[in-house]
Amino acid sequence: MGAFVRWIQKTMMSKKARCPKEEYWIELVRLMLDGQTTDEENAYVLKHVDGCYRCYDNFDLEKAIREALKNKLINIKVSDAFIAEINRKAKA
Amino acid sequence: MGKSKVGYNDIEKNDIFDNEFMTHIDALYNFAYKLTHNEDEAKDLLQDTCMKAFRFINSFERGTNAKAWLFRILKNSFINDYRKKSKNPGMVDYQEVETYYSSDGGEIETQSTPDLRSETVKGMLGDEITNALNSMAVDFRTVIILCDLEGFKYDEMSKILDIPIGTVRSRLHRARNILKEKLAAYAASMGYK
Repeated sequence: MGAFVRWIQKTMMSKKARCPKEEYWIELVRLMLDGQTTDEENAYVLKHVDGCYRCYDNFDLEKAIREALKNKLINIKVSDAFIAEINRKAKA
Repeated sequence: MGKSKVGYNDIEKNDIFDNEFMTHIDALYNFAYKLTHNEDEAKDLLQDTCMKAFRFINSFERGTNAKAWLFRILKNSFINDYRKKSKNPGMVDYQEVETYYSSDGGEIETQSTPDLRSETVKGMLGDEITNALNSMAVDFRTVIILCDLEGFKYDEMSKILDIPIGTVRSRLHRARNILKEKLAAYAASMGYK
């Protein structure tokens, strides 16, 4: 869907407008983002998301949360000394 | 996972340990740290996991999913050893939370989505995301970590956690709703728009 059509939708629809089956679509969106759906199911979800302002927002939010979890949390690297200690103890 | 027994000689054992297990050492430590919130406990848990992995290496079939096998050992060690003796008051038993969020045991609850915008999440700092994740009950936190941080599929999570795939799915769904609520509450308290 083009940016202009989306702008029209955004302008015409209240931000608080709810999708009548919002929880159902959120779950499908999550399954899709988790790679648990088929191509056919993805097309079904995306078709709805593309035409529903509320679900499009939810889709965007779900992606943003996943990216934040993936990219913003600190990942600690185990020191070489501790790896050597683990090796020694495990193989003792 | 780990049901068949294979007899490895010492060279093979060392090779598997060094090349298939140790490549996941950082991911295992970060999982342990996110479970315990304590550096020393995370180190103990990691060491314990690696020692068990080497001791029971014949239960591991070479070339299969070593990461999932190791994560399962770590999760079991955490539940059996560390969680029992933990003094952390923030850890809540999953059953307790499950009962609170679901009165019928299987159905996914219907609840409205909290008012949180993707731009707000994108603007949040790592510490803010970490605090929201850490404030969740450990079983909800675990599914988020396994799925979103470590990229495990539902069938792998089912084996790691010893729960049916349907439970993985419903627990993840609830966990994500809780995380979203926590992020929304945090955003509101910090005056994010």
